[in-house]
Amino acid sequence: MVTILNKEIPNQLNELNIEQFEEITGILNDTSYDYIEKHLKVFEVFGFTEDDFQDTSLDEFKIYVKEFNNINTKCNIKKSVVIDGYKYIGVSGKSFILSVRDTKHIEKIMKNKHKGYLSEVLSVLFKREDLSNVEHYDPTHIKHKSKLIKNLKAEYAVPYLIEIGKKLKQKVEIQNAAT
Amino acid sequence: MQLPKSWSDIDVYTFKEIRSISTDNGEWTRDIETLAIIMDVSTDSLDDCDITDLTTQMKSINFLNSEPSKNFKNNIENYIFKPFEQLTCGEFIDLEYYFSNDYIKHISHIAAIVYKKHKTDEWHNLVYEPYTYNPNNRSEEFDNVCVNDIYGIIPSYLNFRKTFLEKYMLLFEDDPGPEDEDKNTPLSKEDQEHKSAVKWGWERLIYSLCNEDLTKFEQATNLPLILAFNMLSMKKDLNL
Repeated sequence: MVTILNKEIPNQLNELNIEQFEEITGILNDTSYDYIEKHLKVFEVFGFTEDDFQDTSLDEFKIYVKEFNNINTKCNIKKSVVIDGYKYIGVSGKSFILSVRDTKHIEKIMKNKHKGYLSEVLSVLFKREDLSNVEHYDPTHIKHKSKLIKNLKAEYAVPYLIEIGKKLKQKVEIQNAAT
Repeated sequence: MQLPKSWSDIDVYTFKEIRSISTDNGEWTRDIETLAIIMDVSTDSLDDCDITDLTTQMKSINFLNSEPSKNFKNNIENYIFKPFEQLTCGEFIDLEYYFSNDYIKHISHIAAIVYKKHKTDEWHNLVYEPYTYNPNNRSEEFDNVCVNDIYGIIPSYLNFRKTFLEKYMLLFEDDPGPEDEDKNTPLSKEDQEHKSAVKWGWERLIYSLCNEDLTKFEQATNLPLILAFNMLSMKKDLNL
């Protein structure tokens, strides 16, 4: 947690939920905002308004931003999660494997990066152990699951995103090496 | 499964399939579809594979990102390549249609036009079969040949076409159309004529070649291309 204008707000991966994390990363990656606008928007996610910072000096604001961005990104992949009594499995073996089927679904989701896309990606990866693939990949089931997953902490999402990123990097490297 | 090592291992049909894959659904999905085509399996059958394994396999078929050979074979089974300079008007018009409507998709149709059955006449001249067949009916025969055998006709034709159109530029030029056309304003007589001229470009040229006698339409389309366009140029120059 970090204190901004006497209010404690979450900033660590085990404090932010996936919905907040998606919103924050979306703002931080938006090149249409300048540095100040970007972080004002980020703080709006936690209920602040622009007016709240009216009496804050630029130096103070920079300190808030620095403290907020001081995030420990190291976290291990969580192989499963239990929500409402159901176990959802993300990694069934020793290490994370991204299947072709999951890749196709994830690419479709990532294509338009609509609101809630991150929890939807996680919904593809986490499979309820008592259901078959037919139910698992059903669009309504994915939607339902992403509503549940968006409330999980970001520490569930980030390691998976890192793993997907590694696989993407590997693909680009192979492509570059061959051309 | 043994994956192909170069374009020499890919037939025209597979080549068309690979080139028709859209990248709209993402790079990985494109790779998956490409591998499925190469392995001749459905994409669903690859669903349980690890994407890393597929990425590694894609490395061995990286030649797909390049173009097939630009040389083409002169003989394909019973057919022989007819040089572009010897094309007839009708063949040229059909080639133009296929080239302006996705020439990769129509590469077998294009091959069906430029590769001909042939014989030698009593004077030992090479005689090509007349263009009385429908390329749609013959295109499938070229789907099974190696893409390296015929792909080169594409860049060669494009080169020929460029030179040809430059030479006969005047015949293809129309008066510029009306600027800032207001769709609500009825077209003037001149504008309507211009639109019609663009719409009926080839028909207009052939109509002119057969001296506005439609019974000679077939004769006109069978005329050697160069001769026909020289005649059209002369008619235009002399305002005949």
